[in-house]
Amino acid sequence: MAREKTIQVTVNGRAFEKTVSVRRSLADFIREDLHYTGTHLGCEHGVCGACTVSMNGRSVRSCLTLAVQADGAEITTIEGLRNEDGTRHPIQQAFLEGFALQCGYCTPGFLITAIEFLEENPDPTEAEVREALSGNLCRCSGYQAIVDAVMSMSGKPAPENA
Amino acid sequence: MKPAWFDYHAPDNLEDALVLLGDAGIDGRVLAGGQSLMPMLNMRIVTPSVLVDINQIASLNSLQAGPDELRVGALVRHADLMRNPAVREGWPLLAEASNQIAHRTIRNRGTVCGSIAHNDPAAEHPSLLVTLDGTVVAASAGGRREIPAEDFFDGMMSTSLEPGEMVVEVRYPRPRKGACFGFAEFARRLGDFAIAGAAVMATMNGGVCEQARLTIIGMGDGPFRARAAETVLAGSTLDAVAITAAADEVRSAVDPGEDVHGSSSYRRHLAGVMTERALEQAMTRARGDGNG
Amino acid sequence: MADTRFVNQKMVGTSVVPDEAIPLVEGEGRFLNDIRLPGMYHAAFLRSQHAHARILSIDAGAARQMPGVIQVMTGKEMLGKVDPFESMPNRFSGGQSTQHWLAVEKVRFVGEAVCVVVAEDRAIAEDAIDLIEVEYDPLPAVTDPRLGEKDDAPLVHETCPNNYLIKRDYERGNVDEAFEKAHLVVKRAFSIGRKQALCLEGRGCVAAYRESAFTLTMWMSHQLPYVVRHYLAKHLRLGEHEVRVIAPHTGGGFGQKASIYPEEFVCAHLALGLRRPVKWVEDRLENMVASTHARDQQIELAAAVDDQGRILALDSNVWVDVGAYSTYLWSAGMEPLQTAGLMPGPYQIEALRYVTRGVATNKTPVGPYRAVGRPSASASLELLIDDAARRLDIDPVEMRLRNLIPGEKMPYRNANNLVHDNVNYVPCLKLTAAKAEYDKLRAEQAQASDNGKLRGIGVACFAELTGLGTSTAVGPGTLLQPGRDAVTLRLETTGVLTIAAALPSQGQRIMTAMTQVAADELGIKLSDITGLTNDTAMAPYGFGTFASRTAVFGSGAVIKAARELRRRILALAAHLMEVPETDLTIVDSVVQTVDRAKTMTLREMTDQSYFSAKHIPEDLNPGFEVTSFYDPKFGSFAAGAHTVVVDVDPQTGHVEIVRYVAAEDVGTIINPAVVEGQIIGGIAQGIGEALMEELVYDADGQPKTVTLADYTIPSALEIPTIELHHANTPSAALGGFKGCGEGSIIGAVGAVACAVADALNRNGGDITAFPATPERVLTGLGVLPTDS
Repeated sequence: MAREKTIQVTVNGRAFEKTVSVRRSLADFIREDLHYTGTHLGCEHGVCGACTVSMNGRSVRSCLTLAVQADGAEITTIEGLRNEDGTRHPIQQAFLEGFALQCGYCTPGFLITAIEFLEENPDPTEAEVREALSGNLCRCSGYQAIVDAVMSMSGKPAPENA
Repeated sequence: MKPAWFDYHAPDNLEDALVLLGDAGIDGRVLAGGQSLMPMLNMRIVTPSVLVDINQIASLNSLQAGPDELRVGALVRHADLMRNPAVREGWPLLAEASNQIAHRTIRNRGTVCGSIAHNDPAAEHPSLLVTLDGTVVAASAGGRREIPAEDFFDGMMSTSLEPGEMVVEVRYPRPRKGACFGFAEFARRLGDFAIAGAAVMATMNGGVCEQARLTIIGMGDGPFRARAAETVLAGSTLDAVAITAAADEVRSAVDPGEDVHGSSSYRRHLAGVMTERALEQAMTRARGDGNG
Repeated sequence: MADTRFVNQKMVGTSVVPDEAIPLVEGEGRFLNDIRLPGMYHAAFLRSQHAHARILSIDAGAARQMPGVIQVMTGKEMLGKVDPFESMPNRFSGGQSTQHWLAVEKVRFVGEAVCVVVAEDRAIAEDAIDLIEVEYDPLPAVTDPRLGEKDDAPLVHETCPNNYLIKRDYERGNVDEAFEKAHLVVKRAFSIGRKQALCLEGRGCVAAYRESAFTLTMWMSHQLPYVVRHYLAKHLRLGEHEVRVIAPHTGGGFGQKASIYPEEFVCAHLALGLRRPVKWVEDRLENMVASTHARDQQIELAAAVDDQGRILALDSNVWVDVGAYSTYLWSAGMEPLQTAGLMPGPYQIEALRYVTRGVATNKTPVGPYRAVGRPSASASLELLIDDAARRLDIDPVEMRLRNLIPGEKMPYRNANNLVHDNVNYVPCLKLTAAKAEYDKLRAEQAQASDNGKLRGIGVACFAELTGLGTSTAVGPGTLLQPGRDAVTLRLETTGVLTIAAALPSQGQRIMTAMTQVAADELGIKLSDITGLTNDTAMAPYGFGTFASRTAVFGSGAVIKAARELRRRILALAAHLMEVPETDLTIVDSVVQTVDRAKTMTLREMTDQSYFSAKHIPEDLNPGFEVTSFYDPKFGSFAAGAHTVVVDVDPQTGHVEIVRYVAAEDVGTIINPAVVEGQIIGGIAQGIGEALMEELVYDADGQPKTVTLADYTIPSALEIPTIELHHANTPSAALGGFKGCGEGSIIGAVGAVACAVADALNRNGGDITAFPATPERVLTGLGVLPTDS
């Protein structure tokens, strides 16, 4: 049985065809094979949320997904959030201006999770935001600035991409 | 923290999957949502030599709410279940309790059947299946069989699945008219595995509980059906006295294990508290619209 | 950075949006694991599964044969080639420990590295680890410091009788007399569990041979690049000039990345031998057992109190379970000495006695973590003050007001020999009480709650010694006695100012702070300032980031260097513009006369200085590069007072924080939003410490909390909105700055502990063991039997 498989994936709008080890996680594939290192590994057992990416429009833990399972999928990582003109996605801007990141290690996961949540619930309460973000751990911020940054998106039109 | 080697198969039809699983025997594992299996692979806690990924089998991604029962295929994710209007309407216990399962990203991927096949004693779905008197449909290359929930779970992280067999569907009968539900669970943080929880379905008729099904979560051996408490509840109006008595029965019946999140005596205590809270919820609903 | 500002607007005190954060928010940060070099190998470690055992044999034959495996090395094979970590002889009693980088003869904790495998990728290295067979002879484990100090206990190190890595007796003032004449003696026991800093990113390194001019180049997720350089050179027997250390973006530090550990040094040794880059990235399972733990203390504390509620003396006994080795550099003395020695906090304590011990056990070594020692010191004293207040029928806030060091008594030398000055203890307490409407909270508390919950209110005050200069030892017994830190300012040929410093940020935005300070000192626009940091080949000497010191040292050095650079700029400008120096000022990167009649941009200046210098007298053009060292000599006390309201569920034991009001004195604030982030982040860790987080070991020394599902840190749902207020007063350091990185965790542990205890005390219960897990709360209320 082959221990490698050729897969086709679209990541941040770019199509790739790569041969990967079947035991490689999606996270390692994105980081090591495609060099999108903006997605981070914080626990590799699905608790911390730092590795969260968007796969076919839904947030997933890339540490709990095999690369081979992403065959045919469309994936968005933090590097793919930028607008077409290269400017930051509104939520990236909100995080930056709201001091919503310190070490920045958890940030990719928070951004992907928040974008998915805001698409479903564009005008959330603070309690809803806290619950939606509760699967992403941050050790630096005490969450307040992150929650405020997501709340600052409230009522704004849903972002286009991701 | 990288998985050991395995052979990976992603068949696009169930027949092929079952043949592969049958050939692999005890060395094979089904990969569905992977939210429990992948951490164990990454940590090398389990090292199956064959992984059969069922995500390409479209027929398993089936969620059907019929007049008699709800059929949940092996690829139905928690997020699909809890958002489905027919489930929310007909099986509100499933929709509500699903909100306590991990977090949105995990629910996007994790499957109902996977949770049931895994039978983590702290997980919600095994107990919900027992409470709702559901059935597991298991399949192997040799055929299919239907297993009543209570016969399916047989101890901590253990089920009556045979090597080469997988859960292809679970079925929940449509609750009878007058059925009221309650669900309560306590975890250190929302989305953590429950230290203790309780799920109840009480069938009310004219303000009297005809029958109750009560299952306790987090007790070490998988879903714990609290039969003595159910007996106390049957015939009562779910009044405070009956609820207290049921909780006492639960406390004396459960035999929880212990881990870093709680000792055996704390879990026993919490099992009673969660029973009371679940029953109070059901009672409130019973007195509201008798629907729940 | 935004350039719009009003004329003469100061950048210090402004929430400047940090350019530093842009790559991070765009997914283009460069963390350790993002670095890859051509030909790079990957390392993985075989770790002990035994708490204490003799190594009988290691069979790595199969691993060495595996395709893709480059090298397997054991501790024995490294003997004599590198120098192990020897703890420093301390001036108190207690023995020394020797830590081999890979265990030799014995393993002393679960997770201790035994073997290393170098392979083509990490997965293959882990495959090979699984093939190595180690035969152990298990030895009895020491897992409880109170048992470990007994004469008949097994020894973790033959060199440490009674397993003491440190023991100190201290007395100052007349303690016995104070207890004899006291109106009231209160006693309390307090314990706090083992903690994990839990940086979201684990440790890691890439060690490379002969990258550029250096024999060894080391990328390392670390807080102290120059300190690492010093010890790499020392232990690998290289010259310090042969070693370059770079700290890339770092995913949290909190003290855990301020120690020196074996794994990175092993990789450096391997890279030198293999002449190929070697990478090691600590995964979470490793991090939970191989990176330092923290706290783990038992305290018995007594206070002598007069009839007015004034504390006359403190007497404490402290046991710290410091784990298997004296943590390298900081030593096993850090927690025990700081816990007992800093117990008086912000209060007037004239007489102090303590006996404190660091007892070796067969667990992961205890090292620095945010606010070393003080959270438990503070929480135990704050709980004791509440006990005394209750016994004397004095309100807890009033009792604290009677004991805090008031401004009019400063400078005030406490019984622990620390001088308190320029710090607002009383104003902080009054501010938190006023903002929280404390009296109203107490009145509401007295009314029966209608939600079935037990309400508790906690108020805690703290002092945090920050920015320690050379006259104040960071901790007796540590190898590292930090001196001065340097900053280089260089006006580039383009007129842009470069700030270079080896002061890494793990999110504290140190460079942004230094940029703001430089902008004010020099009159340069923020957009004309750039920063280089974290690389010993590019930045001048510095000790790095720890102990709430970095903004103080970095900003002070910037001020000193900027003053000299400004002098040079103005002297040259006066010559070129043919006006007296005294008529000149620099505004928004333009040198101008006060009446703005004549102007010259810094770009024009640097053009002249660098490229047309022959027209300029040499003494007027010494170059636009200035390096200044700064030493604040003494430390500066920062302070705070926190008010916390909790609701305790008497059925589940769950504690919910319903209100959190903090008042802090952090000196002159450079960037308010950054400071707020530091304080709130510290509070969140303190809430986790007080309520949730605990590393658990069984009696055999097996860790029971090895994943993030077992070791629970707060999520967004467990942390309430923090109301933050300031009662700042400038320090005596240059710029008036104080450190703010650690203090708030102290206040949080104390205030939350007091609030939970208050809820329980009012209902006939109490709690002495923390974190206040739901089960401990119910036990404290008598709902569960105490043996559970």
